[in-house]
Amino acid sequence: MKQILTVDDSSSVRQMVSFTLRKAGYEVAEAVDGKDGLGKIGAGKFDLIITDLNMPTVDGIQLITAARKLQGYAFTPILMLTTESQAEKKDAGRKAGATGWIVKPFNGDQLVSVVQRLVK
Amino acid sequence: MSDDSGKPFVHPLEKAVGELQSIARTSQGEIDSVAKSFESLSGDTDNLLNLAATIIASVEDEKVKGVLPKVQTLGEAAKSFIEDRLHATSGILQAVTAEVGLLQQLSVVTRIQGAIALKISALSVLTKIEAARLGKMGEGFQYLACELSDFSKSLTMDTQELARHTDSRKASIQTTTWALSADLPRMQEELTRIEDLVGEDLALLNTSFQRFSSTPERFRLSVREIAGQIAGVVAAVQAYDITRQQLEHVQDALAMIAEKLSADPNSDSERSEELSQIYAGLRIQIYQLNNIKATLASWISQIRTCMAGILNVSSSEVVGISPLVLDQEREVSSRISHIEMLETESHAHSDKMRQTLAGLSSLVQLIGEHIQKSKTVLNRLHLLSLNSMIEASSLGGHADTILAIAKNIVEISAEWRENTDQSGNAMRDILKHVEQTNLLMEAFSNSRSDKLHTAQAQTRNALHSLKAAAAFAACQSEHIESANERMRTKIAQVGKTGDLLDRSFGRIDAVLDEIEMLKQQIEIGHPAATNGCDADEVEHMFSAGYTTEVEREVLRAALNGTAIPMSQQSFAGNSIELF
Repeated sequence: MKQILTVDDSSSVRQMVSFTLRKAGYEVAEAVDGKDGLGKIGAGKFDLIITDLNMPTVDGIQLITAARKLQGYAFTPILMLTTESQAEKKDAGRKAGATGWIVKPFNGDQLVSVVQRLVK
Repeated sequence: MSDDSGKPFVHPLEKAVGELQSIARTSQGEIDSVAKSFESLSGDTDNLLNLAATIIASVEDEKVKGVLPKVQTLGEAAKSFIEDRLHATSGILQAVTAEVGLLQQLSVVTRIQGAIALKISALSVLTKIEAARLGKMGEGFQYLACELSDFSKSLTMDTQELARHTDSRKASIQTTTWALSADLPRMQEELTRIEDLVGEDLALLNTSFQRFSSTPERFRLSVREIAGQIAGVVAAVQAYDITRQQLEHVQDALAMIAEKLSADPNSDSERSEELSQIYAGLRIQIYQLNNIKATLASWISQIRTCMAGILNVSSSEVVGISPLVLDQEREVSSRISHIEMLETESHAHSDKMRQTLAGLSSLVQLIGEHIQKSKTVLNRLHLLSLNSMIEASSLGGHADTILAIAKNIVEISAEWRENTDQSGNAMRDILKHVEQTNLLMEAFSNSRSDKLHTAQAQTRNALHSLKAAAAFAACQSEHIESANERMRTKIAQVGKTGDLLDRSFGRIDAVLDEIEMLKQQIEIGHPAATNGCDADEVEHMFSAGYTTEVEREVLRAALNGTAIPMSQQSFAGNSIELF
């Protein structure tokens, strides 16, 4: 079964991402912030990562930059799930290595559809 | 405001910050609880959708859908069955009535034969007397007398037997006519009744079947609607993250304002500028808090709509259809039993008619035998009469009487021939009659019932499938009811959350009052602060920490003095942009 990691300092958002993707048949792990997320990425193997942007300690951009340097994660799909919609933020995300950008709240069916496409 | 005059407002601001932190914590807890509840409810709706889908699948099964056409075919077959028999019975009644006339003809023929037999008997006596009178000369005529006597006896016996059979047949026909006359209206009634009943059955079955097929679909649609609303709640729960960040940034802004108010300014102009910025900042926070209230109201409304929708989902109609369909199935099954009973009655009825017709056939056989015998008698009579005439001629004038007798025998022979011909005609008529009634009796043959039997068997099979589907639906409906009950119980929990969140409004209003009061203090004490300030600087000061587009739009509205942007919560969720 495909493994997905959701990184967000909001428990309700993590819960909704997990709920949506578990219904679609994925195993979902949760990290409470960027530092926790990097720890889990280093310890495990994930087929896709969904991360928030604005988090304490390590934000989303920093997480993506660090994750891309880890073995096995150069091409892993990483989606940014954030309240931010400004063009410069998206640009920063893309440059850091993000695969896609989602402005909260996400559309559940679309999320599942995109994840299915990315982890085929 | 003097250098120290800002300090009394620091405490209320700090208190407001604390209150907003508390609201954020409480709300987060409640939102987490709502998220868990709706996650579970979503599972329940999936379960309901699956259950409804299984019912729909069983209803849409070809065997079940085939029930109505099969019942229709059965109705037509039953109607045709009864109509055939009605027609045949009516025909047989007419035939039997006609047979009375034929038997009457036969009776006449028989009576004439009886009369002829008497004549022969009389001639026999006469011949004996004459033979005795002629003495030795008349010895040859004794034989003639004996023959005539034997003929007479034989003819009388046959004629009486035929008359007896004919009379018996007449009586039997009478009985049959009464029976058939009574049966016909009853059969007509039965036909009409079957037509009406099967028509009623079809109409009721059609209605209940339509309900059977449409009710689970309606239920599924209503549950699907709920599933959509739950998806909206999921979006609302996510949207809380925006609201949470907005609240945090209002706290940060109020803390910053409190810090500025508590700090000593370097100069009066600096204080004046600060107050303008503080005034603008307060107005911005009022706008932000009102926007937060509107957002909260929006998704609390979504949650309530979803809750109401779930409470309105009623499985009672789904639960009610199976018993209805099972009732209908029982009705139609009893209809089939009624038709089977009619068939049995019809067989008994046709057996009676066959017996009656068999009686006619044996009569025909008897007539045939009688005609054969008559022909034999005729030939013998003819021969006798010739012999008698020759003998009488040889005796000359002594046998005038015998000659007369012989001539009489010739006449009788002619009469007998005519009568035999009439018997033959009567027999032919009766044979034709037998043929016609045999044709009519075809309607009562087993092969004619085959169509009805096939329709009955097919209908029984279809009803069996319908019954199974209804029983299955009943079982699934029970599960649906249980799942529905569980959802209602969960909704009660969510309801409490909604109430708690409602109370947040009051708390936010209290914070708004505090900020409004401070704003008014500035308006009264330092009217110059309300004249405006460097908007770009204020924007930069307060939006530095903003992470959402909503906050930026609200800030701009506050600075421009325009209306707060309407909360445009999209419960459908935003789409994904892939790089």
